[in-house]
Amino acid sequence: MAYYIFTLVFFLFDYFILAMGLNIQYGITGILNFAYIGFVAIGAYVTGVAGLPANVPGQHYILGLGLPFPLNTLLGGLAAMALAVLVALITLRRLRTDYLAIVLISLSLVFYDFCNNYVSLFNGADGLYNVPAPYAKSLGLGVNSFIIFFACLTGVVALIMWFVMHRVLRAPLGRTLRAIRDDHVAAAALGKNTFRMQLKSMMIGSFFAGIGGGLLIQFGGSFNPTAWLPGETFVVFAVLIVGGAGNNVGMFVGALLVETLLIHLPAFLPDIPGHPGLIEYFDLALVGVVLMLMLWFRPQGIVPERLRRSASFGAPERLDEEAGRLDQTAAIAAGVGIEQADHDTGNGR
Amino acid sequence: MVAPALRCEGITKAFQGVHAVNGAEFAVPEGQITALIGPNGAGKTTVVNILSGAMKADHGQMFLGETETTGWPSYKIARHGLLRTFQLSRELGGLTVLENLLTAAPSQAGDSLVNVLLRPGLIRRQEREHAERALHLLEVYGLYRHRDTPARELSGGQKKLLEIARAVMGSPKVLLLDEPMAGVNPALIDVLGGYILGLKEDGVTVLMIEHNLNVVERICDYVIVLAEGRTLATGRLSELRQNTEVVKAYLGEVMDVSAAN
Repeated sequence: MAYYIFTLVFFLFDYFILAMGLNIQYGITGILNFAYIGFVAIGAYVTGVAGLPANVPGQHYILGLGLPFPLNTLLGGLAAMALAVLVALITLRRLRTDYLAIVLISLSLVFYDFCNNYVSLFNGADGLYNVPAPYAKSLGLGVNSFIIFFACLTGVVALIMWFVMHRVLRAPLGRTLRAIRDDHVAAAALGKNTFRMQLKSMMIGSFFAGIGGGLLIQFGGSFNPTAWLPGETFVVFAVLIVGGAGNNVGMFVGALLVETLLIHLPAFLPDIPGHPGLIEYFDLALVGVVLMLMLWFRPQGIVPERLRRSASFGAPERLDEEAGRLDQTAAIAAGVGIEQADHDTGNGR
Repeated sequence: MVAPALRCEGITKAFQGVHAVNGAEFAVPEGQITALIGPNGAGKTTVVNILSGAMKADHGQMFLGETETTGWPSYKIARHGLLRTFQLSRELGGLTVLENLLTAAPSQAGDSLVNVLLRPGLIRRQEREHAERALHLLEVYGLYRHRDTPARELSGGQKKLLEIARAVMGSPKVLLLDEPMAGVNPALIDVLGGYILGLKEDGVTVLMIEHNLNVVERICDYVIVLAEGRTLATGRLSELRQNTEVVKAYLGEVMDVSAAN
C-alpha cells in the first residue's frame, strides 16, 4: 500500500516541478513550448549518464561520470538549460506565438528521432537502465523503502524549487515576463529587451524541466523514448491549464488532479471484470476530455492567476480624500459625470 | 532655434514598393512641445515608429540629442530616454494599473535573475521607491482609485491616461505621443492638454501627432508638416497658415471641415 501511495506522491511532486517550469514559459511569458517534454528528456538522460559509471556492458552512452545525487541531477538541469539557449537562439529571435509553437514541435520531433536512433548518445531505443538509485546503498534501502524515501526527497526538491520560482515570479523579473506576454511591442517600448527576457524564461523553465526529468529517471531507474513521446508535452499542458496558468498553487492542484488522479491512480485501481486494463488505457483520452472541458468552461483554471495588490509593495497608501478629488479626472476619462464621481467619494457633500 | 532633442535626416521607408516615408527630415527642439501634422497617409505614425525603434528605416539617420540611434532596437532607444505612446492603446492588459507603471521604471535591479536570487533586500527597497513614485503619478493622472484594476478593464480614455502616465514613469527626455487626443471626449482633451503642458514645465521634450488644430494652437510651440512622406514645412502654426503649400496640402482641408462643422 505504501508503495502505491508514495508512487503517487512522487509523481505529484515531480509534475509540480515540471508544471512550474512550463508555467514560467507559457503561463507567465506566453511562449507556447510544445517541445517541453524534450527538455524533460534531456534532463533525464544527462542525469542518467552523469550518474551511471563508464562502460556498463550492453549499454552505449556518452559521459558515464558516476556522479552522486544531487550533482548528476543538477547536471541534467543545466543540460536542459543549455538546450534551451540553443533552441531560443534558433526560434525566439524571429518567431512568436503559433509559428514558434510549430517550429518547437518540429524541433522536438528532430530531437526525438535523433535520440531514438543515434545509439551511442543515450543507448537509442533501448534507453538507459540500471541508473543508480540515490542513497539506496548507503542507507540500505529496499525497493519499497526507496520509493518512500525518494518521494519525500522529491518533495523537498519541489519545495526548494517552489521557493525559487515564487521569488522569481514576485520580482520585477516575473512582472516583465508577464508584460512581454501581454504585449511585447509595448514592453520593448518601455525599455525591456524582450529577446533576452524570453531567453531567461526559457532557461529557468527548462532547468525545472531538466530537474524533473532527472528525478524521473532516478525514481524508476530507467528512461527510454517511449517515456517522452511528443504527446507527453500535452499532459504537462493539461496540468497547467487545469490548475490555472500563471499560478504556482494552481500547478500543484493541476499536478494532483491530472498527473496523480487521472494518469497514475487508474493503474492502481482494480480492473473492471472482463476488461483488464481498460481504465488505464483510457487515461490519456480522459486527460484530453478534461482539457477540453476546462478550456470551454473555466479557461483560467481552478486557481486563476492572482494579481498583486498595491499595498504589498510597501509604499504608503494615499489619503482617500485627496485621491478621490484627483479621481475626477478618471471619471471624465471613463465618461462619467463629475457629480457622480463626487458622490462616489463623498467630496460633493 | 533651441538645440534639437531629436533629429532625423533623409528617412525613407517603403512597404512592398509603396513609399510611406520618403526623405523626411526635421529637428525637434528641446524642452518644447512639437506637433507632427499632415493628411492621412502622410507617414506620421511610420516616422514615430522609426524614431522609437519599433520599425527600421530603409535609409536615413536619426539622433537622440548628440547620440546617433539609427538602427537601434526600441528597448535601447527607450533606455536612452525616448518613450512613446501608441495610437491604439497598448496597455499591458493582464497587469494591474500600478504594475503597468512599475514595468516602466528605468533600470530595475529585479529584472536580473542573480539579483532576484541573491539580493532580495535591494529589490524590495527599489520596488517600494518605484511604487511610491508610481502611486503619486496615478494620483496626478487620476487613476489612483484604479491602481489594483487589471489594465484591460479600463475605459478607452483611461487607457490613454495610463499610457501617458506609464511613459512618464520611464523618466523620458523625449516623449512621442501618437494621437493622444484621438477618440477622447472633449472634457478629457482639456485635461490631457494640461498634462502635456505640465510635462513641458518638467523639461520633457514632446513630439505629438495631432489632428486637432485647436489643440495644436493651444499647446504646441512648433509644428512639423508631413505630406507624402516628406517634410513639407516646419515652424509656428501662425507662420504655417501663411504658407500656401501647407494650406493646400493639409490646413485648407482641415479648415474647410471645421468651417463646415
